[in-house]
Amino acid sequence: MKRIAVALLLLLALGSCARGDHKTHIYLQRFFGECGAEYGGSTDVDHAEGECGIITTLINRFNAENPDVHIDVNVVAWPGYPQLTAQMAARDPPDLVTMHEGVISDYALKGLLEPVDWYLAKAGISTADFTDASRTGVTIGAHEYGLPWDTHGGLFHVNTALFAKAGLMRSGKPVLPNSAAELIAQAKQFEERTGKPYLIQSLVGDPAGAARNLYTYMMAQNAVLFPDPKHIRLNTPVGVQVATFFRDINVLHLGTRNMDTPGAIAAFVNGEGGIYPTGTWMIGSFQQEAETRGRPLYKSYAVFPYPRLWGNRVEYVSGHTWVVPTRKRTPQQREAIARFFKFMAAHNYDWARTGHIPAFKSVLADPRFMKLPHRADIAPLAAMGRQLPPYVQRQSAIEGLVGEEAAAAFTGQKSVPQALSDAERRVDALLGHLN
Amino acid sequence: MAASVQRGRLTPLGWAALSLGALIMVAPLLWTLLLSLKDNAELVGHSDAALHGPYTLQNYAAIFGNSLTTRWLLNSAIVALGQTAGVLILASLAGYAFARLDFPLRKTLFVIVLLGLAVPSQAVILPQHELFAWLHLHNSYPGLILPGLVAPFGVFFMTTYMRGIPRDLDEAAMLDGASRWTIFWKIIVPLTAPAQSTLAVFTFLGAWNDYWWPLISATRSDMYTLTVGLAAAQMNYAQTSGLGYLMAQAIFASIPIFIVYIVFQKQIVRAMAGAALR
Repeated sequence: MKRIAVALLLLLALGSCARGDHKTHIYLQRFFGECGAEYGGSTDVDHAEGECGIITTLINRFNAENPDVHIDVNVVAWPGYPQLTAQMAARDPPDLVTMHEGVISDYALKGLLEPVDWYLAKAGISTADFTDASRTGVTIGAHEYGLPWDTHGGLFHVNTALFAKAGLMRSGKPVLPNSAAELIAQAKQFEERTGKPYLIQSLVGDPAGAARNLYTYMMAQNAVLFPDPKHIRLNTPVGVQVATFFRDINVLHLGTRNMDTPGAIAAFVNGEGGIYPTGTWMIGSFQQEAETRGRPLYKSYAVFPYPRLWGNRVEYVSGHTWVVPTRKRTPQQREAIARFFKFMAAHNYDWARTGHIPAFKSVLADPRFMKLPHRADIAPLAAMGRQLPPYVQRQSAIEGLVGEEAAAAFTGQKSVPQALSDAERRVDALLGHLN
Repeated sequence: MAASVQRGRLTPLGWAALSLGALIMVAPLLWTLLLSLKDNAELVGHSDAALHGPYTLQNYAAIFGNSLTTRWLLNSAIVALGQTAGVLILASLAGYAFARLDFPLRKTLFVIVLLGLAVPSQAVILPQHELFAWLHLHNSYPGLILPGLVAPFGVFFMTTYMRGIPRDLDEAAMLDGASRWTIFWKIIVPLTAPAQSTLAVFTFLGAWNDYWWPLISATRSDMYTLTVGLAAAQMNYAQTSGLGYLMAQAIFASIPIFIVYIVFQKQIVRAMAGAALR
């Protein structure tokens, strides 16, 4: 018993040991998973794959190239905001954090994030080099609140073999619709000729997907989703039109039903439908399938931004950024953060290999980027991408509420006006409670 | 009642029902095990590939490669054992005091302890977090262990159990010159072994599986417990390319619990049955 107690005390003491080096330490908190087993000791960014592999090797490389600085990495469960909020409440936030653009306002409007203008200037990064989508994603008022790192949004992932069978290929490219009526017509043609659904949909447990569809096609028609910081407007003629369109797809059996995200991914990978509308983050996995002989997607994969169905070519997007929580820091730590910004900006191309759209115009125009599979096709997302207004707080929670109600409308669980009205009521209640 | 159930008296239908129930209980565990033995790439889009070979141990090798999993396992063990030991000690002492000693405001204090049963942990999470921040205890073992020591259920449970032990035993020991401590340590504690086992099992499982407090208190990777660490290790959207690795981590995480159950099976079953009958 005594031995156990002594061992326990020794372990407790061990856990409290302090560092003894003379480096400037920066605490970085990120999601994207933990893959130390595969990339823990690697600085070979060129050979790293996937979000986790690339970010891990990038940080390893930064540490290797900056012997006077050490980035201590803390990997959090996606998206990591409960932990960040707790850390801020404890007045011990990290120095650098990965944050979605839509979440910045939650923290920045309370003074919990530093404007990063000084760091950008110190790193020699010009905001003029940010893509339109990235710049609006990190700007509140006259300040930037993060280093934009990518733009991500919905894409139409296409099975070109099935499209060819459906007679919907021209000059080696899939023919995508240019209006809602055209989409319905093409979907019917696809269904008749292939016997498979045109759309693969994940409408179960994927509120983000449903919200993305609703936001995108309402924004394309210049709908004002948030007339002020406290209210959302969805139950409008435009909102009803968009939701009814997605409802019609299900009524006409032109899309899969009762699928969650893993089910939809499996269905697309197994060639069970023509188009799977999901995000930039799936390009890597699908491309791998397209390069594997014998798989249903082998040499049969293409991907594009959402097609224009009404109004303008606009798409709801978000993006990953690096933000700097407010706290006391030494001049050396500030300088180290600026150096990190410079390093990450210089390696934005490496990150773009994940499938996300670069945050910098120079990378977007880089021939290396354009030579990556499908990137020339999806690059327009950087220009057509739109976020929610920066004065809207709790965008992530709102997306969940809107997505639940939108999915209920699309699947027929609720009438379209009822679902949109319920979404408005729930979101307005949420926003009404904020200071 | 448990003792009255005799072996070998189940009808074939009963055996069939029990077998079916067992199969339903075990199926998710078997599925997890099979997934953990498959190549990750093979599982993208084809999770039913787990039903046939080839199988591999590469996901388990990855755990022992350069991962923090073993550290998280150690953290979970320290926290769960620390909480279990602490709760047993404190609940036994408090239970003895409430059951046997007369002191001012005893009943009032006991009611206050009982009120603790009605307060969900989420309701006190903000002041608790503030307090631990003020004490600089976040990202430390004491920070992870101490909140779990507040165990009103344990105090209530031990008090109730000890009240059931005849006072004659205490009085006889006192006549023999035993002190309060001797009575507690040499007589009462051994008699409460079944209750201690029950409380230990519940506390250990609760601490091992806890997610909420470690999530916001242990904010540095090296201080994560297994539950938080495994959640953080998920590396991509909808777990499309690391499913086998995730399942291997889950199997690895459950091994200590499995061993505890195998070793202490009799005590645990007896404790559960005792708790149910009391």
